[in-house]
Amino acid sequence: MTQVSTNEATSPLLQLRDVDTYYGAVQVHFGIRLAVNPGEIVCLLGGNASGKSTTMKVILGLVKPRRGQVTFDGHELTTIATSQIVRLGIGSVPEARRIFPRMTVRENLLMGAYHRTDQAEVLRDYEYILGLFPRLRERLHQRGGVLSGGEQQMLAFGRALMGRPKLICMDEPTMGLAPAVVDLVLEHIQQINRTGTTVFMVEQNANLALQIAHRGYVLQNGRIVLEGKASDMLASHAIQEAYLGAGITD
Amino acid sequence: MEQSLSIFFDQTVNGLVIGNIYGLIAVGLAVIFGVANLINFAHGSVYMVGAYVGWYSIMQLGLPLPVAFVVVAVICGILGILIERVGLRPLHGSARIAPLLATIGISFILDQLVQILFTPDPQRFESPIPAIRIPIGTTSIGLLDVLIAAVAITIATLLYVFLRYSKLGWALRATSQDREAAQQMGVDVNQVNRIAFALAAILGGIAGLLVGMYFQTVYPTMSAQAVLKGFAANLLGGLGSIPGALLGGLLLGLVESYGVALFSTSYRSLFAFIIVILMLLLRPNGLFNPKRQLPPEPLTGTFIPNNKRIHIPVWATVLGGVVALSLPFFFPNPYVMQVLTNAWLIGMVALSVTLVTGTAGQISLGQAGFLAIGAYTASLLTLRLQLPFELALLCAALFTAALGTLIVLPAFRLRSHYVAIATIGISEIINQIILNWRPVTNGALGLTNIPPPSLLGHEIVRPQEVYLFAFALLVGVALLQWKLINSPLGRVWRAVREDEVAAQAYGINLNYYKGLAFAVSAFIAGLSGAFMAHMYTYINYQTFTIPLSILALTMAILGGMGNILGAIVGALVLTILPELFRDLMDFRYLMYGVMLVALIRFRPQGLLGTE
Repeated sequence: MTQVSTNEATSPLLQLRDVDTYYGAVQVHFGIRLAVNPGEIVCLLGGNASGKSTTMKVILGLVKPRRGQVTFDGHELTTIATSQIVRLGIGSVPEARRIFPRMTVRENLLMGAYHRTDQAEVLRDYEYILGLFPRLRERLHQRGGVLSGGEQQMLAFGRALMGRPKLICMDEPTMGLAPAVVDLVLEHIQQINRTGTTVFMVEQNANLALQIAHRGYVLQNGRIVLEGKASDMLASHAIQEAYLGAGITD
Repeated sequence: MEQSLSIFFDQTVNGLVIGNIYGLIAVGLAVIFGVANLINFAHGSVYMVGAYVGWYSIMQLGLPLPVAFVVVAVICGILGILIERVGLRPLHGSARIAPLLATIGISFILDQLVQILFTPDPQRFESPIPAIRIPIGTTSIGLLDVLIAAVAITIATLLYVFLRYSKLGWALRATSQDREAAQQMGVDVNQVNRIAFALAAILGGIAGLLVGMYFQTVYPTMSAQAVLKGFAANLLGGLGSIPGALLGGLLLGLVESYGVALFSTSYRSLFAFIIVILMLLLRPNGLFNPKRQLPPEPLTGTFIPNNKRIHIPVWATVLGGVVALSLPFFFPNPYVMQVLTNAWLIGMVALSVTLVTGTAGQISLGQAGFLAIGAYTASLLTLRLQLPFELALLCAALFTAALGTLIVLPAFRLRSHYVAIATIGISEIINQIILNWRPVTNGALGLTNIPPPSLLGHEIVRPQEVYLFAFALLVGVALLQWKLINSPLGRVWRAVREDEVAAQAYGINLNYYKGLAFAVSAFIAGLSGAFMAHMYTYINYQTFTIPLSILALTMAILGGMGNILGAIVGALVLTILPELFRDLMDFRYLMYGVMLVALIRFRPQGLLGTE
């Protein structure tokens, strides 16, 4: 278990303030407020249709909120396009990984650096990432679509890291993976975090996520109903039963 | 033996040359389908514009061929960007059928502009390539054939290099494989769309130029079949696959070439349409891919935003009816009668579209086919069997309902875009059969001396009488339709429109109810077609074509999809409006196109609201 080190003095890297999001006439978010500090792993927990994935989409600019602010590193995100948001330093590991199925592993990785112009550095990062995920090196010229679920997850991590982001947003990184692979993925997330990348992850599997996170938020029906240190949340039986569905463990 | 071998060789060369061109068209469609998930119906028009630009550059301006290529590429590239700007970008977020309809509108506009600028007549396009033939054994290949093959191969190579090795090419591929993921890598997908449209348009334009030189002629209607042929080639190779599109193009070219050699030139177009239908049904993922379901399409029901229908009080409707009914008695101006009679008859077609598309959610672009069946059946019954008109009318409508349903039956598995394309294909096949089934339909000459409508032995020829007859039919049909959509059956239709999967989960037999919707729709269209035939007294295989289907759909959208009164109002507006500006009669179809694009953009719910 990593030491919780929330530094309240520094300003948050990512902040959502009073965000209301709608799909047509249906309101999905009700005044969402959350903050991610530099260096943290923060997880957003919640059941189906709680608005988790929409939160991710709002951060990435794929869905624009009707009210509220999203700030990242001093920039307001609600008014700019996804491609610009990515350039500011937000990497994404999308839900269900979303590897480009008919591009090779190499092409997938380099797509992650699409917005970068520092070619020499890109190649260095490329080598670094292949060192991090040796399995990817073995499959460099295979199509992304033929990889196993776990390998695709590595590729998605690698692809996101290729952009040299300050923050990586991960949408359900353990979804649909075999239990043994899940542990490996969690280890990788911690490793990514240790090298200085802030992680914001959305998870349905609360206990798993809280094991590696510093802090957590619980989203229910579009409202943040709970926030706190991950260790406290894991420890509290009341919280476990009320919000996190005690019994659903790995 | 040697002679037949050399014929075979010639046909193969012909097929490959034309196939190269189909391949170019198909690649353009594939690129756009990949990044935007849209079948760009304006692509054929871009191809036609390319042919005209090439013809104008070479024949009128006397530019050398290489310069003409550049001019075509530049103009068509700009055109492609404009199409993306007008037909796709503003519709972001609406259902996928909206950009499809917008591109149909744009193709109308482009076709009409070219017709207005250069007349509808074919223009002679002398190829600047000398008619040298290179001998090969006992036969030979023309220099132009070689040029076409060279251009196609060069373009394919450049395209491959672009997609494989350039950053933008990667962005294009990534976007077509997963648009949202590409966005999250920092790809500006709007820019990618723009590039895809420009690229596709350049390829289409160059294909047009080559075809113009090959057949030594250019004409505005060459656009109509280009989309379908490109689409056929695409389906053969797997929708959205670029190498597949090229291969599919070659295959289609060969099939056509051998087919024409075996049967007759008038069959040429039939092959493409039959391939479209067969591929959609049997191997929707292409010849080279495993047989799987088509990629999921959003349901069509979401195409029209749900909104309140504008309430027209019953007394106003009745009053309108009374006015229309009494008009011939107080104001029997033959010209007015004639215009309004046309409005009532096309109004029936609009009703038939609004039922199948608006109420049941099946986008039909093939109503003209139903009209043709009705028209030919009734005419043959009165001409050959001397049946009385009333009886022929009824039989024709019933026959259209039966046959029409039977032939669209295979398309019921399809959804949205694919239904639209299948219905277009079917309607064209009907016309091709009419053209080729000479003993019955009299082929290209058509049927002449069709007796005028009659009632109980009394010939109906005075404009007021024709008007009243047509109006009575319209009112009868509208009441029938009103009764149906307010019955439990109407509810089931709407359920199918809103969500096929959910409807099925409630035990609704989709095929049965889609069949019923098409049967009623075909009945109404057949009735209208039968009446038109006897009113015109002359019909041929070109009387009921795709523009008519699109016009009827535009009327239905104008009035408000699924809205019965709306369809009639839409028909009235679009029939009367051009008459008010008779000086601008040439611009009639141009106006329809502009209206279709504008409606989808600004008022998709139409004048009276959807139902």
